[in-house]
Amino acid sequence: MTSYVASGFSRTGADEERTRPTRVTAVHTGIVAGVLAVAAGTFFDVRPPDAYGICMACHGRDLVNWTINAAFATGLTVAPASLAFPLLTTVGVFLGAVAAAGRHGEFRWVTPDHPAKTFLYGLLVMNFALVAGGCAIRLTLRTAAGELVGSVGFIAMAAGIVLGTWWLRWRATR
Amino acid sequence: MTAAVASLLVGLVLGYLGQRSRMCFVGGIRDFILVRDTALLEGLVAFGVTAWVAFPLARLVAGGLPDTPAPADVVTVLLTIGGGLGVGYVSTLANGCPLRQHVLAAQGVASSLTYLAGFFLGAILFHVWVAPVLFRILP
Repeated sequence: MTSYVASGFSRTGADEERTRPTRVTAVHTGIVAGVLAVAAGTFFDVRPPDAYGICMACHGRDLVNWTINAAFATGLTVAPASLAFPLLTTVGVFLGAVAAAGRHGEFRWVTPDHPAKTFLYGLLVMNFALVAGGCAIRLTLRTAAGELVGSVGFIAMAAGIVLGTWWLRWRATR
Repeated sequence: MTAAVASLLVGLVLGYLGQRSRMCFVGGIRDFILVRDTALLEGLVAFGVTAWVAFPLARLVAGGLPDTPAPADVVTVLLTIGGGLGVGYVSTLANGCPLRQHVLAAQGVASSLTYLAGFFLGAILFHVWVAPVLFRILP
């Protein structure tokens, strides 16, 4: 566990690859997440709305708004699934990732390059996601559930990613 | 309470696997365009296909669940298109979907921490300011 301790500052740590091979692949994660998302929505009351099993944006919104409502008796919007007690998916993901990073010695501090810019990105993504009715995960989930509007959102998101990637490439090769 | 506990457990598993696999629901399409790398894209497809198979199966086991149909008027569709475009575009610039940002923040990437600060403040901003404005200007 010694490697758990942050060792200095690295500017390249964000997506720095390890030399060890990855044993958990994206496909494994995708399959498990798919089963969990459907199970949570169907059997464990993470509904309504439909196809609400996993969503980083909406569940994060539920948690923040529920907490503020409880503390200041406000009436900010919360999904019906979060009325009695807020969904804790975002907290779980954070803690799960802390555990995984700690166990495998991958925790290290990386100083931010442009904190104001990433702050703005986070703010924008949350607002766009709430307008669209889901983050990247839930738009995929709604598509899988056969919801037509959800699949329109997924296609729009894919188009947005393509545009964003083109923009990144154009900026890099300019 | 059931939902809260279930979502916490789902999150724990998702966060752990997400950290191990570097899963990103935006990075798959980006990586495929940039370097024809399909590792993350396969994860996205696996998630979609698994859920697509699991939804009817779960419905079969659970019996008749009440349907809560989402509104599908023109305004909703247009908002969904605009929001979807924004989620995809900005997430690409931000170097990862919200899940990936949570995972990166958890392993010490401070720029993802500031991303999360904006993310959660954005939720308040949306309901206090953006949504009322949208409601006022939209038919």
